[in-house]
Amino acid sequence: MTEARRTTRYIWVAVLLCIALAGLVVRLVFLHVAIQDAGRTRTVKTRTYRETLTVPRGRILDGSPSANILAANIGVKDVWVDPAPLLASNRLSSVAGQLARVLHLDEAELSTRLNTTNRHFAYVQRFVPQEKAAELARMKLPSVYFSDSMTRHYPQGQNLCHVLGFVNHDGVGSSGIEQGMESYLKGIPGLRESRLDGRRREMYDRRIREIAPREGADVVLTIDQNLQYMLEKALDATVERHHAKAAMAIIQHVKTGEILAMASRPGFDPNQFRAAGDLQKLNRAIGYVYEPGSTFKVAVIAAALDQGIVKPENVFDCENGRWLYQNKILRDYHAYGRLDVADILKKSSNIGAAKIAILMGDRQLESSLRSFMIGRRLGIDLPGEEGGILRPVAQWTAISSSRVAIGQGVAVTALQMLGVICGIANDGQIMRPYVVKEVVSANGTVLMRQVPQVLSRPIRPETAVLMRKLLARVTEEGGTGAKACVEGFTVAGKTGTAQKVVAGRYSESDYMASFAGFLPAEAPEIGMIIVVDEPQPLHTGGLVAAPVFSEIAEQAVRYLGLMPASPEQTAMYYAGRANRP
Amino acid sequence: MNRRSEFLLLLSRMNWLMLAAVLALMTIGIIFIHSATHVREDVTSGLYQKQILWALAGLGAYVAATLFDYRKLRDAAWWIYAMALILLVAVLFFGTRIYGARRWLMFFGTGIQPSELGKLAVIVLAACLLSPPAGKFERLPPLGWMLFLAGVPMLLVLKEPDLGSALVYAPVMLAMLFVAGSAARPLVILVLSGLLLVFLVLGVVALPEKIGMSPEKQEKFFRAIHLTEYQRDRIEVFLDPSRDPMGTGWNKRQSEISVGSGGLTGKGFRKGTQNILGFLPRTVAPTDFIFSVIAEETGFAGAMTVIGLHGVLALCGLYSAMAARDKMGRLLCVGVVTMVFTHAFVNMAMTIGLLPIVGIPLPLVSYGGTFMVITLSALGLVQSVHVRRPGV
Repeated sequence: MTEARRTTRYIWVAVLLCIALAGLVVRLVFLHVAIQDAGRTRTVKTRTYRETLTVPRGRILDGSPSANILAANIGVKDVWVDPAPLLASNRLSSVAGQLARVLHLDEAELSTRLNTTNRHFAYVQRFVPQEKAAELARMKLPSVYFSDSMTRHYPQGQNLCHVLGFVNHDGVGSSGIEQGMESYLKGIPGLRESRLDGRRREMYDRRIREIAPREGADVVLTIDQNLQYMLEKALDATVERHHAKAAMAIIQHVKTGEILAMASRPGFDPNQFRAAGDLQKLNRAIGYVYEPGSTFKVAVIAAALDQGIVKPENVFDCENGRWLYQNKILRDYHAYGRLDVADILKKSSNIGAAKIAILMGDRQLESSLRSFMIGRRLGIDLPGEEGGILRPVAQWTAISSSRVAIGQGVAVTALQMLGVICGIANDGQIMRPYVVKEVVSANGTVLMRQVPQVLSRPIRPETAVLMRKLLARVTEEGGTGAKACVEGFTVAGKTGTAQKVVAGRYSESDYMASFAGFLPAEAPEIGMIIVVDEPQPLHTGGLVAAPVFSEIAEQAVRYLGLMPASPEQTAMYYAGRANRP
Repeated sequence: MNRRSEFLLLLSRMNWLMLAAVLALMTIGIIFIHSATHVREDVTSGLYQKQILWALAGLGAYVAATLFDYRKLRDAAWWIYAMALILLVAVLFFGTRIYGARRWLMFFGTGIQPSELGKLAVIVLAACLLSPPAGKFERLPPLGWMLFLAGVPMLLVLKEPDLGSALVYAPVMLAMLFVAGSAARPLVILVLSGLLLVFLVLGVVALPEKIGMSPEKQEKFFRAIHLTEYQRDRIEVFLDPSRDPMGTGWNKRQSEISVGSGGLTGKGFRKGTQNILGFLPRTVAPTDFIFSVIAEETGFAGAMTVIGLHGVLALCGLYSAMAARDKMGRLLCVGVVTMVFTHAFVNMAMTIGLLPIVGIPLPLVSYGGTFMVITLSALGLVQSVHVRRPGV
């Protein structure tokens, strides 16, 4: 080998080394440029973690002094798996089998559900009780993880279900108070942003920001758990005794509009809200409109008296129970000859009430009823309130006023009907009904307190006093609501027996039986309405609803410590000067 | 002339630039081993002190090797080779198992890696065999014989298993054969078939999945061809880095981020977040990934410095080779230069994602005792050749 060739080979080696070095440098430059741009922000992103700090939802408490808990949170676990490593190691079926056994799930369904996913996350079951989760944790199953979660619990079960509502699986209130007061109850979740180290642990000294969460506030209801219980029990018994399709009842504080109890049947258990159908979830007391029948006469006669169109002692010919008007026949349940206005109310004569309404005239009747809040929502602080139906006078026919007078061709909710009755009890002022007394934050600050609010003044106080006297006669001997009486008290009220409209005609067999009233009549404290849907075979308000009123009222006055009117009060009452201070 | 002044004369003829590069690299290594480990409060935080001791020992070996006349190696070459082979066999039986591989022999509390010694032994033996003894005509031994001599230790290292170290034998042997004047055509064929083999391996790893083999069959197949799972993983990750960024691809990706995030001048000494926050795995930061730490903390400039120093080192070595008085000296220099440079290149290339991650240290910089001493001894031999160059 020549010297020259040898030198060439050394140079070749040197050149190769230099090429290799150049390769390194080029790559180095590219890395710097690449990381500086897109890569860097992505890197920062993967090293930042962002966590929403969830807060417990506020409680719902009742309005009694002991502030009973109606809705609270229970800490539970969500069980989930990372299916990918299980699939890779062929252990999916065994793990799924053990999970299914402990959680009582369908093993085949679980296996396929976990098998088909190629993500790193799949719920096995949410809201697993702590003991179950602990049992699973002891089994040390691979790729099975637990995360803390909260579930809503309603210790009273079905009681007050419609008012409370429920919280869906995403933690959002979906009906009742849970929905209506969502903004207060849910609180404000906090936010934490921080950096992670190589083992994906948070670095506290590099926290970017932390916004403290605000716990959900407690909602205190006007509802009294004990009154509610009485109402629910009585309603259950009524539905069973009278084979009714549905029923609803409300107790309201006359002077403020506070709802003390509210129940509807059928009901549901909010702890298992998924098992309930729409009909069960419907809060009928505020969301179901029905033709009120005779209870509606109260509004018409009160308006007529208030406007001086009739006086209690004016006598009407009740046509012996059968009156042909505008080519339509109107009947009374019992046939009467001549009745004065007071007796028309007491005996609940349809013909009498119709004649009074006709005297008033369509226009005046409609505007009076509207001032009684008929056809308008009262604005109760619960979602799902209906406004009822009262057609504008322009759409009325010649017989409309005679039918509206007896509660036909007009539809109300139980809450509206109770509003009319309580308006009379409250010296002619209709109060806005409400179920939320106040909202108290976790640290005790009162965030909101409900103030009683007058919605309308349909009649003068004097008329209201007069109406109370007339309505008290309904529960006397010979009145339709005699069974609503409470021993020691004077009960004022009105029965209603409305034929239901079935297939466009008034049914001869399906009725809405109702009773709306208040007591003590001389100085009213509480108003109550009972509505029973399709009771069989008894179907009149006087026989079906009035006894329920009596039963509940009797317990309620004792529980609330209401005293019968004193002789002085009674004297003043009959002197017509009412119970105004 | 007495012996002492003779030594001084020899030392004064040293390749000073090369020594400067060596010392610079060692200093950088010690500083950044400290940086890579200072956040940890366990034993490794004192790692740089151990490295200083190893460096001093290595420098001793360096000076000794410089003063030692390399021509005397001709007699010892076979013995050194035999000893290396014995140690390589011994490590397979008595070696300490770390991360599933037997690479370490424990002597009096310090571990040595026979594979490093093996490289030097092969270089020395090849330099002797490829150069004619004094007074004889030049006749190269057969190519196959040379390949066999390099192949035996290579296979033993592969058996440990230590793929990275084993691969270094190939370029070293090829470079020595090349400059020794071996016929070019067989060498080219060898290189090409070697490359072909690499592609074949890559193909074998990637193909079974591509053609839709079931996981069980793939497992069987790989067991049949003796490819361990972690080797396969690393090759697969090299082929497709996004495959498992949190698992096997982690080291590669984090290393790239480290290097790339340094900017022009770096984040500052002991301020490399990749390292401090443990994104760069702490067990390898002071050893195989020291380049990432340097690049992150001193940026592009620092990385270029290290690359440049290794370039200077290699070119100085080649210069010594060309200046050497005999063929054995030339071959020795080329062998050592190739060994050190291959290590440096493969190490840096893997930390910046050019090559799959094979556990190879960065010479003179990475933490590691045996390798430090062996490297310095080898470079000392280059100096030994240099100081005995003719015409001065």
